[in-house]
Amino acid sequence: MSEFDVIVVGAGPAGSSAAIRLASKKMNVLLVEKSDPPGTKNVSGGVLWGHELDGVIPDWEKTAPVERYVKAKTVGFLTEESSINIDFRSRKFDENRSGYTVLRVKLDQWLAKKAVESGAMLVNGVTVDRLAMKDGKVVGVEQDGDTITADTVILSEGANPRVAIQSGIREPLKDHDVAIGVKEVIKLPEEKINERFNLRGKEGFAGEYVLGFLKGGVEAGGFLYTNKESLSLGAVISMKHLRANGNTRSFDIIEEFNSHPSIAPLIEGGKIDEYSAHMVQEGGYSSIPKLFGDGYMITGDAAGFSFSNGLVLQGMNYAIQSGITAADTFIDLKEKGNFSNSAMSLYQEKLQKTFVMQDMTNFKGIENVTWGNLTHQHLPGILENVMLEIFMENGMPKRHMYKILMDAMKKQNVSSSRMISESFKMIRRL
Amino acid sequence: MALKIVVLIKQVPDAEEIFIDPVKFTLNRSQARGIINPADENAIEAALKIKDETGAEITVLTMGPPAAETALIECMGRGVDKGILITDRVFAAADTWATSLTLAAAFNIMDDFDIIFAGESTTDSGTGHVGPGVAEFLGIDQVTYSVNTKVEGKNVIVERSLEDGIEVVNVPMPVLITTLIGSNMPRRSTLRMKIDALKKGITVMDHEKLKLPPEWVGIKGSPTVVGSLKIPDEKKREGKKYEVEEIPKLVDDLIEKGAIKIGDA
Ligand SMILES: Cc1cc2nc3c(=O)[nH]c(=O)nc-3n(C[C@H](O)[C@H](O)[C@H](O)COP(=O)(O)OP(=O)(O)OC[C@H]3O[C@@H](n4cnc5c(N)ncnc54)[C@H](O)[C@@H]3O)c2cc1C
Ligand SMILES: Cc1cc2nc3c(=O)[nH]c(=O)nc-3n(C[C@H](O)[C@H](O)[C@H](O)COP(=O)(O)OP(=O)(O)OC[C@H]3O[C@@H](n4cnc5c(N)ncnc54)[C@H](O)[C@@H]3O)c2cc1C
Repeated sequence: MSEFDVIVVGAGPAGSSAAIRLASKKMNVLLVEKSDPPGTKNVSGGVLWGHELDGVIPDWEKTAPVERYVKAKTVGFLTEESSINIDFRSRKFDENRSGYTVLRVKLDQWLAKKAVESGAMLVNGVTVDRLAMKDGKVVGVEQDGDTITADTVILSEGANPRVAIQSGIREPLKDHDVAIGVKEVIKLPEEKINERFNLRGKEGFAGEYVLGFLKGGVEAGGFLYTNKESLSLGAVISMKHLRANGNTRSFDIIEEFNSHPSIAPLIEGGKIDEYSAHMVQEGGYSSIPKLFGDGYMITGDAAGFSFSNGLVLQGMNYAIQSGITAADTFIDLKEKGNFSNSAMSLYQEKLQKTFVMQDMTNFKGIENVTWGNLTHQHLPGILENVMLEIFMENGMPKRHMYKILMDAMKKQNVSSSRMISESFKMIRRL
Repeated sequence: MALKIVVLIKQVPDAEEIFIDPVKFTLNRSQARGIINPADENAIEAALKIKDETGAEITVLTMGPPAAETALIECMGRGVDKGILITDRVFAAADTWATSLTLAAAFNIMDDFDIIFAGESTTDSGTGHVGPGVAEFLGIDQVTYSVNTKVEGKNVIVERSLEDGIEVVNVPMPVLITTLIGSNMPRRSTLRMKIDALKKGITVMDHEKLKLPPEWVGIKGSPTVVGSLKIPDEKKREGKKYEVEEIPKLVDDLIEKGAIKIGDA
């Protein structure tokens, strides 16, 4: 007999969601988290998109520690001198609230508390070393020489899956798979935030930016989100370019971003309260490992379930859904008491029916387009030249839009055939 | 018979996460996570080392809010046998006198003990009163500033770190010993022991259980009065950067500003 039905490794959104679901179905669950309290080392932008938490905490929108709901959304292209933004506000978007800004320290502690209230045992401040194996099957976890047994282990250890790698169930990560995310939380009085971003009450702003001003082929996306009394500002930087450009450091990029003429006034007078850096999974579909085996399932970032188009980064929603699906899989298998590899394939089957695997499949390969110099270097420059010519009166006769665009592309050394083919690829994948 | 050791610990807010409310001039601890007072970490480790060698039985005792339970579970996860939480609204706002008295009262209802460990002082109030206060209420010997302890028969050999060297003291038990911050390397809790701790749970005591009249404890039993509190003005930083070669210039600038002085060593 195992000591626990399930051991969940990691109390992020994936692990806690799994634990809440399992415990509320009367399963005997151990949730192990290395930080104390949970969430203290976790980083998201973060906007929590979607309504997946409905599945485990029906009233979550009323009680969860969310900061603001996303009322205004901006996508921006920044060059050294200019910014070209698309701002989106809509009553339809408002009526259908689907994004909330969150701070992970609060969110993760709240989720872990819900798991405990549902009946899970939470141990924090302890790091699991590896999976305990017997005859090729996972029988529990190992920590400091002890083995704690369970029928199934759910791995929810996040973007740096050391337990899985240590246990030999997945390959070490490659540069291609990862990006680095850096983030600052900047304190600013609530009224100032509302004034600067044109918001009221619980309304929030979420902006994502292509940082077209970076040198040496470094590609990064910036984000700026409003919390109740602070701003979250950060950047996600592709690892392979960071390595190729030895002198570029992630904190320099964030520095350049927050001193950009269109960003600096928004954060002026704010006090940096927190600084963090975290790994991000960027590899997309091709870097998803085998998701299950004899006695285990993998969820959330550890499974490579995140979506990035070089601008938006989503992962919490996939984490929550995959956690719930893993829990449901276990609950189904518990009846027959069979947790073998072939029985466990039910997890993959269930996932295929959710948006998690559907998004992963539909956006297969998108990272090759979004992390490319067309988006990150040329596009902002092209847009800048077009805008300058349209809006600056210089006493010259006006020209047709098409001509302006062609010239702007020429200045950026982008051929029209390249533009067409890349745009086609992007449309096909989006 | 196994030795009986009691360790006094206090949960303090993580100093890195405390800030002073610029309007109300109070310490804002709301966002700070609770940690075990750093010197108490060393007290726990000192006790565990004795347990490693002699098989002693260790109890941790804290007075604090219900959330301090996590600190007790953490200690049990390292090998401490029992956790006791003294918690009650009437204990709120206790000064060091009332805190010492309340902690000492717990010994009236616990088994006999051989050694009490306490931290030398805390990072949030830092009076260093509580260890010695408990010893006085209990009427036992105390040894402060300890960096190392060893049990020999019915005595404890304590190394005290003083300004001019290490003093070695040989005292009979029962005794209260306060440990200096950084005097040893605290071990980590393990999953196995934390699971056992959560299953076992802790003991909770209130003023009735301790048979303490409410007038003796908490704010009513605290003779300390805070006169006033001054916060020095924040100095504006100039944000100047110096390259390594410019260090001599940096030194000159600092002397000019009166920030450092050159004297005879
Ligand atoms: C800069 C940045 C911005 C982002 N912005 C957004 C956003 O706006 N919206 C969005 O949806 N997503 C965003 N993401 C992605 C999102 O943060 C992740 O997808 C999400 O956190 C994944 O959740 P998870 O539960 O799988 O993993 P995590 O949240 O990483 O949780 C894993 C947990 O496991 C614990 N753990 C790890 N190893 C062990 C071990 N051996 N033993 C015990 N515990 C262990 C960790 O301490 C951690 O608590 C962003 C990420 C970054 C870095
Ligand atoms: C002028 C002044 C005013 C204060 N006003 C208030 C107030 O209004 N409200 C308020 O809440 N606090 C107040 N305090 C704080 C309170 O008096 C102390 O926190 C408390 O009495 C412990 O003292 P200390 O932190 O200085 O411990 P120290 O004497 O520095 O601690 C030494 C050791 O004693 C042990 N110890 C200390 N406290 C405990 C405990 N609670 N449980 C178990 N072991 C313990 C630990 O081993 C610790 O390492 C005030 C302090 C001062 C100096």
